[in-house]
Amino acid sequence: MTRRAAPLLLILPAALVLTVFLLIPYFNIVLMSVRMPGNGVPYAPGWTLGNFAKFFADPFYLEQLGNTLWIGAVTTLACLVIGYPVALQLARGSGALRGLRYGIVLTPLLVGIVIRSYGWTILLGNNGVINRSLVGWGLIEAPLPLMYNGLGIIIALTHVLLPFMILPIMGAIQGIDPALELAARSLGAGRNTAFRRVVVPLSLPGIQAGCILVFVLAISAYVTPALIGGLRVKTAAVSVVDALIDSFQWPFGSAMALILAVIGGGVVLGFARATRMAWVRRR
Amino acid sequence: MTEVSLRQLTKQFGSFRAVDGISLEIGHGAFVSLLGPSGCGKTTTLKLIAGFEAVDGGAILFDGADVARLPAERRDIGMVFQNYALFPHLTVGGNLAFGLEMRKRPREEIARRTAEVLEMVQLQGLAGRYPRELSGGQQQRVALARALVIEPRILLLDEPLANLDAKLRDEMRFFIRDLQKRVGITTIYVTHDQSEALTMSDQVVVMFGGRIAQIGAPEDIYDRPASRAVADFVGRVNVIDARVTAAAAGGFQVATELGAFGLAGTAQPGQTLALALRPEAIGLTAGGDATVIAAAYSGGLVDYRVRTAQGRVLDVQAFPVPRFAVGDAVRLDVAAERLWPLA
Repeated sequence: MTRRAAPLLLILPAALVLTVFLLIPYFNIVLMSVRMPGNGVPYAPGWTLGNFAKFFADPFYLEQLGNTLWIGAVTTLACLVIGYPVALQLARGSGALRGLRYGIVLTPLLVGIVIRSYGWTILLGNNGVINRSLVGWGLIEAPLPLMYNGLGIIIALTHVLLPFMILPIMGAIQGIDPALELAARSLGAGRNTAFRRVVVPLSLPGIQAGCILVFVLAISAYVTPALIGGLRVKTAAVSVVDALIDSFQWPFGSAMALILAVIGGGVVLGFARATRMAWVRRR
Repeated sequence: MTEVSLRQLTKQFGSFRAVDGISLEIGHGAFVSLLGPSGCGKTTTLKLIAGFEAVDGGAILFDGADVARLPAERRDIGMVFQNYALFPHLTVGGNLAFGLEMRKRPREEIARRTAEVLEMVQLQGLAGRYPRELSGGQQQRVALARALVIEPRILLLDEPLANLDAKLRDEMRFFIRDLQKRVGITTIYVTHDQSEALTMSDQVVVMFGGRIAQIGAPEDIYDRPASRAVADFVGRVNVIDARVTAAAAGGFQVATELGAFGLAGTAQPGQTLALALRPEAIGLTAGGDATVIAAAYSGGLVDYRVRTAQGRVLDVQAFPVPRFAVGDAVRLDVAAERLWPLA
């Protein structure tokens, strides 16, 4: 064995796993998306682009795609607004409870996704803890619509995905030399200005990574939107599963899945382009 | 130009007194070094002056006005950090403009001043580069320019040469000192490197354990150290026991194992003293009752270790000619005027 072949051999297991469980299925999805729809069977013989045409011709699916992207965008923004101060605190704070706070941030990831989403239905439902309390205290007359709508999905997704925003931002802030803030202060910047002009821009790589992670996970989430949105609000991912499992339309479901993936990828790429930082080292 | 005075400055971290009653007067345009081992309080003193740490006691006066309660951004200081602390997300031009933007100067003035300081530090044409695209020496000069472009009242430097290689470090010493003289700014320089402190400063402040051990011109610090600790920290030193044999007005005689010497000053006959003697104040000639036990050649000079007939080991530094080898018998010629009694 030559010296040059060794590294290739080392990545062979990973390459094998990816090929068998990712590339081949992906190829199969692409293939399936151009098959003829069947009647009573998953697909019929022959090839067509009609599955894509059907999607783009139907305002229902387009609106649903728009809703999904909207939910993803709002969830991302909510995670950023809630997560940034937490990340800052975790990165810069000290003390004995730092480990505990770090653990608390990770808790959403420690509970199974079904249990967690079910927990939110208990809180958000018309007869849920929140509405019962508010009505009980006389603050509202009728229960607020917190479930079976986009708001409920956004609340639950924000909870689940918050760590994916906090951790990259925390990492970025930890990487900022505290002397930079002092330098800004010595040059005449007050505490707030130093934060705005130095810490925030230098944490942008973390913000970028966090936003991409949360957005991608939010638009492709299935369990949480399915449980919280119920039958009334469906995101694109829920519809894909409906088409594949419930109505047995494999070609159309595959086409939808591809469209969601391509458009989601396009949004991410556009975002990464728009937030490109000239000062970040690239190799 | 600004006069700085520190009055009984103290800073406590828990039960540790980092700065323990420092008083210091720094004149207009002076270059003063704070010199000491790590943990001696020199950097903390600098941070107190800069406003990065809150003062626990005492006063910091700039031209007679106490600034100790002012936040850092209102003290009007220029600071150069050990790792330069250039803003990585801003170009060289952006780094230089930062302080002027904070002062809300007009755009044309910012452009003009930025160009001026770039020329002053000989970095014309690099305004568009990011800090990571510069060499260590260039970053160092940008840091200096950034600190000076705001025309601060005082310039603070925290071990600015520690991260440079030896050759560049020597160049930058002259560069910084020259720049400081041209600008005429009162400068406080923190270092643990005695040769930096001696070569650059008007005044050297030697600090140990949060206190000032000695303040003086470089020659005072080196040739007339106030204590054995100062003598030890600022270069190598031989300490020789002496007994005063006779005293007269303006001078006295001592007997040592290296011979009898006359010294200036006052002392009581019979008193015992410790005398400091720098390695280069001892000359070597061939043939004598001392023996070379180690020799280290370093180019321009040779560091010898010599054992006297009485068994005392002395450090000697001499030119490479004549050269002695380990085992050679040598005679020691002490430059009596370089003997200095330690308190």
